[in-house]
Amino acid sequence: MLRVFRIAAGKFVDALIVVVALASLVFLALRVLPGDPAALVLGDQATEFERAALRAKLHLDESLVAQYTRFLRGLVTFDLGESVRRPGTSAVLRVWDAALPTAELAGLAVLMGATVGVAAAIAGAGPWLGARHGWVDKMATALAATPLLAFAPVLTYALAARLRIVPLPGDPEAGALGLVFASGLLALPLSAHVARVSRAALDDVARAQFLGVARAKGGSFARVLWLHALPAAAGPIVTVVGAQLGALLGGAVVLERLFERRGLGTLILEAYASRDLPVLEAAVVFSGAFFAFVQQLAAAAHAMVDPRVR
Amino acid sequence: MTRASEKRRRRSVVARVLPLALVISVTTVVALGPRSPTRLVPALSWAPPSLSFPLGCGEAGGDLLALVAHATLRGIALASSVALIGFSIGCPLGAAAGLLRGRVEQIIARACDLVQAFPSFLLALVVLSAVRVPTRAHLAVVFALTAWAPFTRLALAQTRVLRDAAFVEAARALGARSTRIVLRHVIPNLLGVVAVQLGATAAAIVVSEAALSFVGFGTRDGVALGAVLDQGVSAMLRAPHVLLVGAASVFVTSVSLMVAGRAFDK
Repeated sequence: MLRVFRIAAGKFVDALIVVVALASLVFLALRVLPGDPAALVLGDQATEFERAALRAKLHLDESLVAQYTRFLRGLVTFDLGESVRRPGTSAVLRVWDAALPTAELAGLAVLMGATVGVAAAIAGAGPWLGARHGWVDKMATALAATPLLAFAPVLTYALAARLRIVPLPGDPEAGALGLVFASGLLALPLSAHVARVSRAALDDVARAQFLGVARAKGGSFARVLWLHALPAAAGPIVTVVGAQLGALLGGAVVLERLFERRGLGTLILEAYASRDLPVLEAAVVFSGAFFAFVQQLAAAAHAMVDPRVR
Repeated sequence: MTRASEKRRRRSVVARVLPLALVISVTTVVALGPRSPTRLVPALSWAPPSLSFPLGCGEAGGDLLALVAHATLRGIALASSVALIGFSIGCPLGAAAGLLRGRVEQIIARACDLVQAFPSFLLALVVLSAVRVPTRAHLAVVFALTAWAPFTRLALAQTRVLRDAAFVEAARALGARSTRIVLRHVIPNLLGVVAVQLGATAAAIVVSEAALSFVGFGTRDGVALGAVLDQGVSAMLRAPHVLLVGAASVFVTSVSLMVAGRAFDK
């Protein structure tokens, strides 16, 4: 119990360091880089008086240290100020509204990617494909090397514009099918990585003595796989999903833009285009924080099941 | 010659030829091509490929061949410079950490873990929005912030093996200083492993740059692979060739860079 607690605490601290580093870099980028944020927000036509008012509203007239403490306090209390473009709406609230669709997209993608990847690896390890089981590896390698940015628009063109099986990008009535298609695209590279890692992990386990014993006792392939091999191979699979989260986040932004879906990516783009600095800060820091904590959670889960990684 | 080794030989020929062919053809188009990537001929908007415009035209009649060639060249330049920066910071750092052992080694290894867990895509978004006119130099700085970590990690792992090797011990016994050992004995032995990482890093950066320009965070001139894709998506029904050209060029560029790294690994 104490061990589990120690691992969890260690990973929590790691995630915290990543978040504080990201937040500080975001803070510095918007304040230390040359150029007056107030001028960026208001444009060149604004009068000096308007700019001074905005600077006061964004607390840009205080010292850097005072701004930083305010910023950190805002992070902890989820209060990073009001949206500049939509007065009266808090920045954090807008981020929260946008986070749900993105979470749906990414969550479904992780689920599909992990399922398909593990299934492909089992198909490659099992007796069904015979001499052709190398195909699984080759396909996974090819797919893992293909950037989402290259195949997502082409697949969308083929399936939405030519074959008309899925809704076109930007279709407001895309509904569940649109969500499933977008998550499917996002899941493809993930499933390739999961398949490669699980293939290697299952191969590793296959040479272990306990599998030989289980098989010698007369366990069927399914029983040996389910009860003995998969649990032993779970660690690397969890880790690779964690390691792919960064790509998943970037991919979600790309796909939201491609399909014109509402979400964190769209919010960040909108905040960028309209220079809504509080919303931009909040969106980046909170999605970064979520990302870091889930990633460390995956690492902690691996460390708890597998004593070798500690 | 066995079939397997024949296959491997053929693959290594591809590995050398594909990236070279890409760079040479792209440079030729950039140097000798008759048209500028930003020149627009509105009459030719979304024109399909023809003899005088081999890849067709994009939004407002920009020549896609010129656009893709310039964008690819700039993307490769950005990616290889960031990969080289990461390499020249990461390798000595990792090698030094491995030789110094103890505290330093632990701290650097942990720093690598943390930096590799860093969402650099998000950071790039913020830095690009904080500057008035985003350029590739800004992108290079953002990517370089995290690009060194995988090199350090590889160099550290390799140095842990090398530091007890007989030739390193011999060099030390002959009185060589640490700098000399790192430069003359450790780093040359790292290069094979690290070259693969150079290719992988460069490929990842080309794709990130294209992704950033696709979502609208690119440089202002619109000469980027992602900008071509963006045009293609918006005119998916009218002019599908733009989308196919954009997707193919992202794919070919990233695979070439990845393959180029593998070519050095014997």
